[in-house]
Amino acid sequence: MNMISPVPDAETLCRQATAFLDTGRPGAARPLLAAARTLDDTIPTLVLAEVRLALLDGALIQAIEQLDRALITNPSHAGLRKCRADVRYGIGDWEGAARDAAEAVVAQPSDADAKARLGTALLELGYIKEAIACMQEALAAAPNLVGCREALARALEAAGDIEAADRVLTDGLARGPANVTLFNAAIMLNLRRRDFVQAVAQAEQAVLAGIADATTFALRGHASCSLGQHDQAVQAYQEALKLAPEDQHIRHLAAAHGMTSEGRRAPADYVRHAFDAYAGRFDAHLASLGYAIPSLIADVVARHPKIAGGNALGPVLDLGCGTGLVAMALGDLPLGPFTGIDLSPNMLAEAERKRLYATLREADIIEDLSTQSSQWPLIVAADVVCYFGDLKGLMHGISRCLAPEGWFVFSIETLLPDRDGVLPGNGDWALLRQGRYAHTHDYVYDCISEADLRIAQNDRCVIRREAGADVPGLLLTITPVAA
Amino acid sequence: MTVAVLSPDNDAMLVQSPSPSVHGLNLLAAGCFREALEPLRLAFRLGDTNPATLLNLAIAEDRAGDRPHAQNIMNQVAARWPDWDEPVLRLAESLRAAGDHAAAEHAYRRTLSLNLARIEAMVALAGLLLLRRQPESARDLLLRACDLAPDNAEAWNTLGLSYQATAVADLALAAFRSAQRLQPHDVSYAVNGVDAAVLAGEAEAELDRLERACERDGLNPAHHAARGMLLDRMGRRADAIDALEVACVLAPDAIAPMRLLAGLLARSSRVARAETVLRRVAEACPDSAQASNDHAAALMRMHRHAEGRAILQAALDRHGPEASMMCNLANATVCLGLQADAVSLARQVIDLQPDAVLPRRALCNTLPYLHGTSGQELLAAMRACSAALPRTPQPPLCNDPDTDRPLIVGLLSGTLRSHPVGWLTVAGIENLDRDSFAIVCLVQNAALHDPIARRFHAAASTWVEVDGLNDAALIAAARAHKIDVLIDLGGYGDASRMAACANRLAPVQIKWVGMQAHSSGLAEMDWFLTDRWETPAGFDALYSERLLRLPDGYVCYSPPPYAPAIKPLPALKNGHVTFGCFNNLAKITPELIGTWATILQRIPDARLILKTHQLSDFATADRFVSVLAQHGVARDRVETRGSSGHRAFMGEYNDIDIVLDPFPYSGGLTTCEALWMGVPTITCPGEIFASRHSVSHLSNAGLADWVAGSMTEYVEMAVARAADLPALAALRADLRARVRLSPLCDAPRFGANLGSALRGVWQDWCGRL
Repeated sequence: MNMISPVPDAETLCRQATAFLDTGRPGAARPLLAAARTLDDTIPTLVLAEVRLALLDGALIQAIEQLDRALITNPSHAGLRKCRADVRYGIGDWEGAARDAAEAVVAQPSDADAKARLGTALLELGYIKEAIACMQEALAAAPNLVGCREALARALEAAGDIEAADRVLTDGLARGPANVTLFNAAIMLNLRRRDFVQAVAQAEQAVLAGIADATTFALRGHASCSLGQHDQAVQAYQEALKLAPEDQHIRHLAAAHGMTSEGRRAPADYVRHAFDAYAGRFDAHLASLGYAIPSLIADVVARHPKIAGGNALGPVLDLGCGTGLVAMALGDLPLGPFTGIDLSPNMLAEAERKRLYATLREADIIEDLSTQSSQWPLIVAADVVCYFGDLKGLMHGISRCLAPEGWFVFSIETLLPDRDGVLPGNGDWALLRQGRYAHTHDYVYDCISEADLRIAQNDRCVIRREAGADVPGLLLTITPVAA
Repeated sequence: MTVAVLSPDNDAMLVQSPSPSVHGLNLLAAGCFREALEPLRLAFRLGDTNPATLLNLAIAEDRAGDRPHAQNIMNQVAARWPDWDEPVLRLAESLRAAGDHAAAEHAYRRTLSLNLARIEAMVALAGLLLLRRQPESARDLLLRACDLAPDNAEAWNTLGLSYQATAVADLALAAFRSAQRLQPHDVSYAVNGVDAAVLAGEAEAELDRLERACERDGLNPAHHAARGMLLDRMGRRADAIDALEVACVLAPDAIAPMRLLAGLLARSSRVARAETVLRRVAEACPDSAQASNDHAAALMRMHRHAEGRAILQAALDRHGPEASMMCNLANATVCLGLQADAVSLARQVIDLQPDAVLPRRALCNTLPYLHGTSGQELLAAMRACSAALPRTPQPPLCNDPDTDRPLIVGLLSGTLRSHPVGWLTVAGIENLDRDSFAIVCLVQNAALHDPIARRFHAAASTWVEVDGLNDAALIAAARAHKIDVLIDLGGYGDASRMAACANRLAPVQIKWVGMQAHSSGLAEMDWFLTDRWETPAGFDALYSERLLRLPDGYVCYSPPPYAPAIKPLPALKNGHVTFGCFNNLAKITPELIGTWATILQRIPDARLILKTHQLSDFATADRFVSVLAQHGVARDRVETRGSSGHRAFMGEYNDIDIVLDPFPYSGGLTTCEALWMGVPTITCPGEIFASRHSVSHLSNAGLADWVAGSMTEYVEMAVARAADLPALAALRADLRARVRLSPLCDAPRFGANLGSALRGVWQDWCGRL
């Protein structure tokens, strides 16, 4: 027989559970905490471990309530305070997070962790100077707080002191040269300030130190690509794919460099990730690139017979609305209400701030079009079709959702032959190194006519400027054949 | 079944006075068998011939190890009190513990003839009948036992086993549940219930029941252990490990959960943790040969062969010859560079069990390392092993013989991870045209945290973990996936599934990397993936398969992203040449050491660095240095280095000028890694496949002029290359770039070649219909 006598010791069980949580094994921690609770439900280590579990489950409210209860009996417990600060931070309650972190600092003035949390919360609240001061104090006491160092660099960057931000990161790297998180933060900072040479150098340092991860290699690829070093970019993306073979973002960029077979469209995760990271700087960056598609669309829409005749056109569907630049450009015309669709929550949040849209939806364009019951008099897509290689699905979706005399106004990038006169990709479309698709005009026309649509207007235009040169494309207006 | 002592409370015949017999009885009751012997013997010498005293003395003798004496006393007591069932029952139990099942069965029947209602005898006899594959008789006996003693958990449990043996899963499950209700903390009852639930097709319901039990009675480790086992059966391995870990935390000294956990960890490539757990099991069960064997096997998987070998030798000394332990010992022995001893051991086990597969596998895994083994000799050993594999009639395969359709390619392996198999195959698999080939990975020892495993996973259209499948189930699973071309990447190694291959998993079967020392010898293995360097024209007769030669090399090396930068030639700084060999010790033969000694004598200031896992063991390292010293090489000219992380391992090539390849088993991945680190290898190929890996990799990378045609040439080449430092330095400076651009690392080119080869063998099969 295999009879077992359990060893009922709540502290031991909590310790083991915490060790399992530390190694990312909530499945082992959960039953042990439940067992510990049956023995003694008052010990703080139990509460802290249970809160970690609740956070992993996304049960934030439950976590807060548990911490609230524990703090009633232990109001000065710095660990519980810091933990609630983290939870409140996680749900966007910056003020609450700051209060708890401040209480933790009061309870344990020498606790650098608590100061770091306070600084991070203050940064989110917009108290940048105070945040910087707090985090600098924390780092002075505990220079190895990597998260705090990263946050301090962000704060300094937000304060406009990019050099100081860079110093904070490079100082961190000098102290802990094996820290890939800091390396990646430093490389990204250099990418943002378009210092690609320094970004490459830092990525190389990480590689030489043997700590480069998939992100490092992908950033290295990005920097090399920006420097026009295609071979180095290919090598970097190859290495990135070895370390993160399931990462759609990297796979898409690898495909853009001809390393893997091309997908028929950019993966939704890629688009979401790319634009989420970009949202805060999107408008300014596009302006710097001479991005004019929204105003060109506005010029086209102004020529619509109804508008030209002084009438209102009605609802507008803005596909891939981003931060709302098209709605801004169309704002003076008799149109609306506006519905915007985008994959990136951060972009949608920026669009929301402009208060131009009646409806904003986080959705994939093709899926959204396939489930719509509305017939739209105007659908627009500015710099969006470049995330699709195969356009047949998109055009069929448009055909479904366009009102009988409706217009779909969109831009495409023209696929140009290479220096040997050969069209890259499959001859219809190709995934270019920047991760965008360009199309031949004939292919686009074929897709339009296959979907029972016809071209109402066809304007050549400059899509954007790249490395000082114009990127050619078309601004097309199409309408159902019967119209 | 436990053996209870006879106490005064339940037996009127026991001595009532505070005598030595009572003292002995108390010690016996406390489990102090040896300590109980003295007072009980004293009582006997003092004339206490009370039957209870005599029987207690017998029990103490039995437990203390003198079984024949104990049984003699029991027989005497039984003869003197012929109506008393107790001595006969004790005798039966002693006989059973001694493994004499026939005599034990007879004694149990005698017990029952004296006392028809003796439940212990009924249950134990039923257990023996189950062992004798007489489940119906056992069941009838147990039904009576359960009727007589409905509170006897062991009777219900054994009844469940008898139902299970007759495939009446629902009644088995009911019986196990009765046992669990009576003894909710017994792990074996809970675990048996899991088996029955799975057989009854009630896995989900059982999981639900166990989860509720865990919630209700969270401190009971039996629930968690059973839940873990069920999750494993359901393929949820990570969850299963977590549940078993919980059971082990709740009951840190319990053996059963530890055994279950260790087995699962070992199957999940978490060998270090498995070894920790198995060590605890072995410490807790010092008399268990199985525990010793399991622990040694885990140590061997961690490359701690010296420790594993010592444990196995001690266990064999203690328990006598046992085939699986001897096979493990042969494998541990070869890995310590004792090739002749290992082969001799493997042959001894074959003599012991001539029809068994395991000893023949041990020979297949040791013979390639033995100097002088010919291709025909190795082929014969492989064929003999293959012939021993069980084959059962299988339905014909009905794959659509369309030559041009997309093909389903199966990869069968226990090493799709950071392992030579992974490093040498993953890039090729990734670069197969996905429109033409869908990959089905039939995986053992899956390690999805591993970067190479993740690459295979990303390249695969289907990922099936097959550890839990026996050969019949694996055959069924592979056939259900309609695999057209099956590639075996395991051979007769640790996770071998050649027995399944012998029953055909696919219409076309190919042997590729993974214990690919030579031909598989398997008649059902149709092709052998190779190249013109591994198997030049004229080698075909050494293989049972048809040779499928790829246009470049037969593998594609995928260098690690973290490989360190190459430093300048160390000889320029050191003032002397440093030779190196980072291959495992199984490849380092006495003949090879002699050849290296010749080279070192020819270049008096040259050094040799040997580095591999097994050299972490001081005694092993010292043995190699001593052998070289016997050949006249001063100890300070030889450096041994033990294991290190992969990046550090590669970085240590920055200390090496020239690699000396071992023979007859050459370096494979090791040669590729040396090339990537800028270090060329001098090799001396032979006849068997394993002896020619370096020729393939060097030739594929454009370094065919580093291949020696004989051992003499090997020595001369080493001396000549060592004398030309500028040439060595120049080669080193751009070797990585050369290798990167060579077919050895050209994954798209390799993928296209592999695709053409796979298409070709498929078309060949279609053409034969």
